[in-house]
Amino acid sequence: MTKYWKNVDGKLNSINIENKELAQNSFHTNRRDFLKLFGFGLASTFVLSRCENITHKAIPFFIKPEEITPSMSNYYASSFFDGDKYNSILVKVLDGRPIKIEGNNLSSISQGATNSITQSSLLSLYDDTRYKEPKINGIDTNWAEVDEQIIEQLNKINAGKGKIALITSSIISPSTKKVINDFIKKYPATEHISYDSISVSALLDANEQCFSKRFIPDYQFNKANIIVGINADFLGSWLSPIEYTKQYVQNRKVSNDKRNMSRHIQIESGMSLTGSNADERIIISSSEEQNLVANLYNYIAKSIGEKEVSVSKPAIDISKLGDELIQNKEKSIVVCGSNNTETQIIVNSINKILGNYGNTISFNNALLTKQGNDFMMYDFVNRFEKDEYSAVIFYDCNPVFDYSNTEKFVSGIKNIDLTVSLSSIPDETSVLTKYVCPANNYLESWNDFNPKIGLYSLAQPCIHPIFNTRQEQESLLKWSGIHEEYYKFIKDTWKSEIYTKTNSVFDFESFWNKTLQDGIFEKPINSTEPEFKFDVSSLKIEETSKSEYEVQLYESVNIGTGKYANNPWLQELPDPVSKVCWDNYAAISVAMANEKSLKTGDVIKINDSIIIPVLVQPGQSKNTISIALGYGRTVAGKSGKDVGVNVYPLVPKENLRKYSVTNIKIDKTNDFRELATTQSHDSMEGRDIIRETTLEEYQENPSAGNERHKEIEEQHQSLYKAHEYKGHHWAMAVDLNSCIGCNVCVIACSTENNIPIVGKEEIKHAHEMHWMRIDRYYSGDPENPEVIRQPVMCQHCDNAPCENVCPVGATNHSSEGLNQMAYNRCIGTRYCNNNCPYKVRRFNWFDYNNADALGKNTVDKHGMTKDLPRMVLNPDVTVRAKGVIEKCSFCIQRIQEKKLKAKLENRVLQDGEIKTACQQACPANAIVFGDINNKNSEVYKLFDQERRYHLLEEINTLPSVGYLTKVKNKG
Amino acid sequence: MQLDLSMKRFIFNNLKIISLFIGLFYFFDLQVFAQEVDSNKNLQSHNLFKTDDLKIGERLFLGLIKTEDNTINCASCHNTTVIDTFNWNPSALEIAISTQYIDSAAFANMLLNPLTKKISEAHKNVKLSAEQIVLIKQYLNNFIISGLEKPKMHITRLLFFIFLIVLFVVAFIDLTFTKKIKFKPIHGLIMIVTLFFIFKIIVEDAIRLGRTKDFASLQTIKFSHKVHATDNKIDCFYCHHTAETAKSAGIPSTNVCMNCHELVREGTNSGRFEINKIITNWEKEQSTHWIRIHKLPDHVFFSHAQHAGVGKLDCSECHGKVEESHLLRQYSDLSMGWCLDCHRTRKVNFLGNEYYEKTFKEFHEKFKKNTLDSLTVAELGGVNCMKCHY
Repeated sequence: MTKYWKNVDGKLNSINIENKELAQNSFHTNRRDFLKLFGFGLASTFVLSRCENITHKAIPFFIKPEEITPSMSNYYASSFFDGDKYNSILVKVLDGRPIKIEGNNLSSISQGATNSITQSSLLSLYDDTRYKEPKINGIDTNWAEVDEQIIEQLNKINAGKGKIALITSSIISPSTKKVINDFIKKYPATEHISYDSISVSALLDANEQCFSKRFIPDYQFNKANIIVGINADFLGSWLSPIEYTKQYVQNRKVSNDKRNMSRHIQIESGMSLTGSNADERIIISSSEEQNLVANLYNYIAKSIGEKEVSVSKPAIDISKLGDELIQNKEKSIVVCGSNNTETQIIVNSINKILGNYGNTISFNNALLTKQGNDFMMYDFVNRFEKDEYSAVIFYDCNPVFDYSNTEKFVSGIKNIDLTVSLSSIPDETSVLTKYVCPANNYLESWNDFNPKIGLYSLAQPCIHPIFNTRQEQESLLKWSGIHEEYYKFIKDTWKSEIYTKTNSVFDFESFWNKTLQDGIFEKPINSTEPEFKFDVSSLKIEETSKSEYEVQLYESVNIGTGKYANNPWLQELPDPVSKVCWDNYAAISVAMANEKSLKTGDVIKINDSIIIPVLVQPGQSKNTISIALGYGRTVAGKSGKDVGVNVYPLVPKENLRKYSVTNIKIDKTNDFRELATTQSHDSMEGRDIIRETTLEEYQENPSAGNERHKEIEEQHQSLYKAHEYKGHHWAMAVDLNSCIGCNVCVIACSTENNIPIVGKEEIKHAHEMHWMRIDRYYSGDPENPEVIRQPVMCQHCDNAPCENVCPVGATNHSSEGLNQMAYNRCIGTRYCNNNCPYKVRRFNWFDYNNADALGKNTVDKHGMTKDLPRMVLNPDVTVRAKGVIEKCSFCIQRIQEKKLKAKLENRVLQDGEIKTACQQACPANAIVFGDINNKNSEVYKLFDQERRYHLLEEINTLPSVGYLTKVKNKG
Repeated sequence: MQLDLSMKRFIFNNLKIISLFIGLFYFFDLQVFAQEVDSNKNLQSHNLFKTDDLKIGERLFLGLIKTEDNTINCASCHNTTVIDTFNWNPSALEIAISTQYIDSAAFANMLLNPLTKKISEAHKNVKLSAEQIVLIKQYLNNFIISGLEKPKMHITRLLFFIFLIVLFVVAFIDLTFTKKIKFKPIHGLIMIVTLFFIFKIIVEDAIRLGRTKDFASLQTIKFSHKVHATDNKIDCFYCHHTAETAKSAGIPSTNVCMNCHELVREGTNSGRFEINKIITNWEKEQSTHWIRIHKLPDHVFFSHAQHAGVGKLDCSECHGKVEESHLLRQYSDLSMGWCLDCHRTRKVNFLGNEYYEKTFKEFHEKFKKNTLDSLTVAELGGVNCMKCHY
């Protein structure tokens, strides 16, 4: 059996719990006090019962809209695009408030799934720190005033010699492009510059040079037998992770009918989410990347008979990798996350000579979500500083925070009279501008998107704007002198540009209504692939020499570019690999830690400017430090301000923004900063909590790795009478082979079930409230370990240990196999928590959501008890008060809702009709929920497989959650 | 509910102050109906009349001054205090609000030559001089600032409770110290009986805590279910049309009211006064603000669709004979015991609903073989916690 280890230090991290507040309050009750309290209780009961009840108002609609029924939810199709990632979504709206976001099944990009940022973008709608009014010099004003002043100045600049700069993130909206064109038509002095917070300019440039197409091709991971990722976290944060995950798992799933899977090799410096899922990881330092890619090309080119490039010998042996790729010609895929044009050109050439273009990579439906050009931006910033512009408009971007050369921006802005920000929330850029014209949240706006060629989608408002805001496009239209609503503008654009392409037999109005209802319109293109025309042998490679220390900057799966840093849901979501939340950190290798005698939490100084705690990360490259971008916002709300360190300034101030930095200086400081982590114990303590096998063994014997299951089941004996389930018996199957550990299930669960935010300090006390967690274990060599993950939620045991010990019967077994939890009965003894072998029960140490009658109990570090953020709460789930235990309920509210629907419609409940929140959000289809009393259900079929086992099944708790063994393709 | 440690501390440190508060509470025993008062502060400055004139106005309204009409008491129909009974006639406050922007002449005209039959009938003997009407209007305007007078306090139960405690203490003192009464079983008897009643009151009140059985409230519009459902035979589901399909039964929106009241502008009981309110709302495009009568705690999930739709329960089983009274009153106590009693005895409409038939196949077989004739809600899992609490 694989040997798993505890943690890097080989011993338990001591968790230092010193709750001073609790110590002060230690309090002894004697007999007299007891009598006093007793009397007081009786007297107050009498008084309270005499009080008049508070009267509540019931206010019906004036005219009830046809589609709205109070207390019943509606779903509206919309789209999410934050300038970085696109997702087609459905918004659940109940009584006028959006309360949940789901993926759109019809979209080929989201395929019904979401990612963490999309899920939690909902909370940003109810962010109390949003701009509430337009501002001039920081003072609230009205729209008429702002418009008048801006139009006057724009006209003046237009008439004179000045230039107007319009800086945007990548624009993928056809109508917005038209709006910007109209604006430029009105003010010809305008220059439009778009850039991406995290640039992929090199990839675009490489494609332009190789194919004359400045696009990101359509990667199809499902068609590849072998996947090679080079510093590309394509399952976590690279380009379009939901789509890629959906494709990736398609070919990773094994079952009795399909006993084959793809092989994934990841070459990287830091341990990324994607890397931790790979069958094999090759660790390189970030400066070795180009050399390795070039040598890999040469190896393949040599055996195929193509021209080679001149490059020095590789540091590691790539022959095995090269052979595997050659064996899988036309059925392989090589992706690289580097922002170095030469590297990307060589990667393109590798894919070219392997014949992957047209097979696993296509330009037909190219991805358009990132279009920024680093060279143009670099050029612009230099001119911007030199005082060439008279006006600047920031549209959905925050360059003062996320551009490498912030100083130039700041000094440039100071020299300009007319500075306008269209940001909806205070950020580093908008506080420097004179005019703030706050935009709506995306859930309050109309919009359209063209995320891929041939794919269109619409976004519709799901709530009336909460504040006095106006969406960006309307502002620009107004300033262009076009007095048209943006909604009408979109409709006109679609009528003239998109509808004409459809050859639809319906009239435009029907087409529009259908698209609005579906959220998307897809018309994939199938034409011939462009020709590869680049002579790679002519490429001159400037090799970077390996330095003592290097830094690799990466996009965090949770925080992304930093735009949603003020979202406490995202901040509290643990990192998929390190399980650290509320902070970024410098991930260092075990070797470096030993060499510099550093341990997790020690603070280091990088280049005399960045002060950051370290985290000893197994599988990290020896001399490379990995740090997440997007943290360290200085202007943000309570939750985002000063969380972590901003490392965007570490990006070299060159034309191409490179995210790997060489020649780094590191100094140890005497400081120690404890990182808040949700998993400090990495050991399975010798038990087979996760069972795994290799593909080879699995093909021979489907129950490989799971031999003990049968053995244990035969030995089971119980004193308890078995439960009888006459109707439903709910169960859940978790396929460990599909789960990539992206954490979206955790955030979806939080959103659905009103799970509170506890804050960094409480996490340090191990008081996190997430109903499900993804346990991560390492095995093998600490320098290059294997990673394995397991989502753990309440197992809904038939012989539940928690049920027997509750003194008040607050937790007991339902007739449908659920372990139920009645919050109002719970008196908070926590016996159930102690007796749960899976540690899935959570205790409300404080009143985090303001549900308690006693105001003194409330602990709210992140403003979640204010009226506005409370609007996100799901009214179908009780908001828990202090002193009660809570846990996963298998989304009972969803079960009940669908059961009632079936009863009303006089029909039997369909398999798959009920989806738990975690299942619905999962991009890897790893979770299946259903009724195992129904022999045709998917969950029953999965439970029937030889790979199925239960967590700690030897203790005979008979869980309703089954796991399927992990299979690794060792090649 | 758990008492937080710091809360306990707070209580102990301030026990005396808290006791004083409790005493005050006892004294005032707030049995007051909450009534929204549209306090128009501007009117205060308009009040140029002397207090004497106000007094005369009041006496006229209450029928205490002899007038030509041989003293008609306006207050006998138009209440000046907060009442908890149903009065079809507008209260003094409502008259004041609806007439605050018209002058005395118009007011006099309204009063003496009313347009509707009902008011002409009621006002037929009213004979007031123009001057008197001015005084009455002024007196009425005063209500806009002060609201209706609060009713007298109900303290009988409280006095009884205090009396019992005093009696108990006196008996105890006499038993141990003063010893006036020599025959000791009398003390014992008094102490046992008083203690019994003291605890009975406390227990009854404790059970009543948080329950609102028999709760009723006057609404902004004197809407009567009796007039609509009994007299005019409107079906429950005409207005509460989502009761069978949605979680909430639904309160009709203003446009539903206007379906009939577009034509029905005058009622038998209230003339035009009440119906005019809904028409004003319609014209001003605003919703009606009702006072909610039935409210379950937040931790209870209840769906009308399950009970009225699937279970085919009659509305009156939980809401009582709503159609028989003008004032809507909470009929059931809506306690958990009350819910469970029904879940344990109620038969499920098993046959005919494919969901039940195909999900509970075993039971269905028995039904077919006639070995089973009925199933209660509880037998299908209806007493599981998670049916209602999640």
